[in-house]
Amino acid sequence: MTTRNDSTVAIATAPPRTVRPSRLRAIRRSLSTPGGIFGISWLLLIVVASFTAPLWSPYGPNEQTGSVALAGPSAAHWLGTDDLGRDVLTRIFTAGADAIATSALGAAVALAVAIPLALWAASRGRGTETVINRVTEIAMSIPVIIIMLTVVGIVGTNLPLIMVILGLVISTGMYRVLLGQAKSLQSQLYVDAAFVDGLTAPRVSGRHVLPGLTTTIMVQFALVFSIGLMIQTGLAFIGFGPPVPAPSWGGMIQNASTHIYDAPWLMVPTGVVLILTVFAANSIGDALSGPREKAPVRSNTRSLRARRAAASAGNTEPTGSSPVAAPSATEPALSVQGLHVGLDDGTTLVSDVSFAVSAGRVLGLVGESGCGKTLTSLSLIGLLPTSVATTAGSILWNGRDIAALSEQELFRVRGREIAFIAQEPMRALDPMFSIGSQLTGAVQRLRSVPKREAGAIATALLEQVGIVDAARVLTSYPHEISGGMAQRVAIAIALAGRPRLLIADEPTTSLDVTVQAEILSLLRQIIAEEGMTMVMVTHDLGVVADICDDVAVMYAGQIVETGAVRSVLLEPAHPYTKALLGADPHATGAGGPKRRLVSIPGQVPAPRDWPSSCRFAQRCDFATAACSGSVPLTPRPSGAGLSRCIRAEELFARPTSSLPAHAAALKEQVD
Amino acid sequence: MAGFITKRILFGILTIFVVSVVAFLLVRLMPGSPGAIVLGLGATDDEILAYDTSIGWHDPLAVQYLTWLGEALRGNFGVSLLDGRQVNADIAARLPVTFSLALAGTVMSAVVGVLLGVIAAVRGGVVDRIVNAFSALGAAIPGFWIGIVFVFVFSVQTGLLPATGYVPFAQDPALWLQSLILPVATLALGGAAFVARQTRASMIDALAQDHMRTLRATAMPEWRIRYVHALRYASLPIVAGVGLQFIALFGGSVIIEQIFAMPGLGQSIQGAAASNDAPLVLGIVVTTTVVVVIVNLLLELSNRFLDPKLRTS
Repeated sequence: MTTRNDSTVAIATAPPRTVRPSRLRAIRRSLSTPGGIFGISWLLLIVVASFTAPLWSPYGPNEQTGSVALAGPSAAHWLGTDDLGRDVLTRIFTAGADAIATSALGAAVALAVAIPLALWAASRGRGTETVINRVTEIAMSIPVIIIMLTVVGIVGTNLPLIMVILGLVISTGMYRVLLGQAKSLQSQLYVDAAFVDGLTAPRVSGRHVLPGLTTTIMVQFALVFSIGLMIQTGLAFIGFGPPVPAPSWGGMIQNASTHIYDAPWLMVPTGVVLILTVFAANSIGDALSGPREKAPVRSNTRSLRARRAAASAGNTEPTGSSPVAAPSATEPALSVQGLHVGLDDGTTLVSDVSFAVSAGRVLGLVGESGCGKTLTSLSLIGLLPTSVATTAGSILWNGRDIAALSEQELFRVRGREIAFIAQEPMRALDPMFSIGSQLTGAVQRLRSVPKREAGAIATALLEQVGIVDAARVLTSYPHEISGGMAQRVAIAIALAGRPRLLIADEPTTSLDVTVQAEILSLLRQIIAEEGMTMVMVTHDLGVVADICDDVAVMYAGQIVETGAVRSVLLEPAHPYTKALLGADPHATGAGGPKRRLVSIPGQVPAPRDWPSSCRFAQRCDFATAACSGSVPLTPRPSGAGLSRCIRAEELFARPTSSLPAHAAALKEQVD
Repeated sequence: MAGFITKRILFGILTIFVVSVVAFLLVRLMPGSPGAIVLGLGATDDEILAYDTSIGWHDPLAVQYLTWLGEALRGNFGVSLLDGRQVNADIAARLPVTFSLALAGTVMSAVVGVLLGVIAAVRGGVVDRIVNAFSALGAAIPGFWIGIVFVFVFSVQTGLLPATGYVPFAQDPALWLQSLILPVATLALGGAAFVARQTRASMIDALAQDHMRTLRATAMPEWRIRYVHALRYASLPIVAGVGLQFIALFGGSVIIEQIFAMPGLGQSIQGAAASNDAPLVLGIVVTTTVVVVIVNLLLELSNRFLDPKLRTS
């Protein structure tokens, strides 16, 4: 264990080079959502109708038509008439162009000030940024409308000028938003690279930072546009609009409000048009900022069970049904049979997974990212994410089927019988609560003891996981301790309910190399002390060699090989396992200077693209025509366990004396 | 902590000082000298000049500002050019109206918005879509329009509530409450829409955090996970959003007061801006800034208190 184990995966699956779609296309795509289409069409309609009003309307905007005043809609006046008998429709649309143009003017001014300021502050670093921030903070300490009323006192009711000044005032808020994003773009590596290439700061900002801000800028434009529209109609409403008789939406609503007793209808047309216009601008902003995250529907357990029952009654009859894989003679404590995990839309993510772990043993679940090992581990404790569920198969834990338990029954199992340790300890702890309250709370819940006693147990647990100053750690918050310490705390929380089965999802991956070894030996010691059974998810064969008794190798949602650690690592019976071993830097180190680290070409296919044939065939060096049929798990050529390779016998049956080159290094670790 | 508070208070004082200087210079740009406004159209240029000189209008700007500042620090904002009343008396009478409007509006926005946002995030599906529609619509409806619609529905049509006017609390608490309901509801509609949107996003984010899985894995009841741990995690952005709403509603009430004939600062600055009553405008701008600075300070403090990262450092 001397290398960071991410490297294994990094080498094994180099991420594909994705082509970034052109920004314009992305913007066009997000605007072709219903909200975007509505927003743009409505604003266009207002502008066009406004400029063409003299063509389609028989009345002038200020013409007192001689019709009945304050009348409702009629054939002659579609939206009725106001108190002077003027045509409401004509006045609304005539006012539209000015309202939209001046609001856009204000937004443009705000952008023209905020963009250069944000780019400059982002490229100049802390000093400049602090000064500008303070200035904007001061400017934002007065409500905008109060500033604008003062401005009206100075410049009168010159609408374009008022909107220019409003743009200046609002630019401070916009600067804030843009600065945040400009700063994160500025810290990107490609921006550093541009500086190394000798580009000047303004050119770097213009060429590498500004394009990244495009979407935010457009969203902000839409936002400030609607704020501007609200403020100018508000000002016109309280009498600071264009001088009479020129129509303005705010003025018309004000006029309508004086006739609320005798002609309430008059409120409707202008109000609706104004609301739709603001709504249109907001919709464009929302559409540009991308699809909003949907709150996941929390499906109740009953419907999950129903779906699961339906699924297992249907087509997912376990294909090539798998015998128990544990090499142990004793009755297994945990036995997973034909487990299928799928998305609500029917996509299968884990298919027909079977394995067994005897009491007191450690099973390693190994594979590249995306192979289904984490989902498999989460299903063991009934903690699959929303919209994912087990669709078939059973998870027998001491004779009970975890997959068939109701939420209430699971509630009694979690923490007390089965515990879970997550990959990133810092994110697994609640940042808002002290470690003491989290650990003591778990002890109280899981052991049903009073608070005082729970506190003593918590201290003992922290000492058990090797924390010396338990008292201090109990009063600390997660951000005050190191990653390794946090993982020890997370292990202590997992132990709070004296579980018999520990599920650990890559518990060392996010830790520093030196700490990884410590945590692994702590885990090994604890399961030995407590006699616990463990399922350890990892992509690191070094970890497997270090701590596991048995191993199950997963690929593309399936198990491809199982067996005792020693036989699987030393004599792999599946090309994928062999390739993983070739991609493992630990194995090559001692294998001789000539051996190169091998990467596995290609990547794990997406669940939708899983073939019915051997799922590894595409990337396999040994694939033949025979591999296009479905491949069952069959006993390994040597040793106990199973392998899902049709050519296992001919490829891997070899005398144990001629160990492959990588085996030497691993043998040391296994022994 | 004490150092932090001192720093923020000093910055608040700086903010008020800078705003007062800028506002002082701005109101100088208003057309017409005090003499022209006070003496009216009938006055000759000489009379106006004499008046202006007597109040120091032609002194150097710095001297004038310092004179104003000296008086302001003693709580004297001068007299209104229009009616000669004390500006600080006018503000003292009107500030409580605007303040209680904005405060009640903020409380109502917070209660309704947080409730809707949490329900949307927790329930998802149809409820989520309805809350989204409410947020989108609430954000698009201007207060001055919905306020009049409220008057039409609740006063003109049904007579349930008074259309306009304000009854001081001391005079009759029941009538005071009645007179506040419509204006507060008007202000709170947009505010609740904003807070609901913010709460929903923060709650969805909180519920998706990794540590929620740790809590589930240790058999914490689901209600506790949602309403204690997720809500606690979401509380920082929610409180910040609610604080911003107070400032927005304080400004928004300027317009709403007009509809309901509420004797608040809004009415006053409206008249002052229209008639170039410089001392009154200046007094209101500075007073508003003081309120905002205090609210911001309280927000910073609550943030310190709520965020363990800030509290423990």
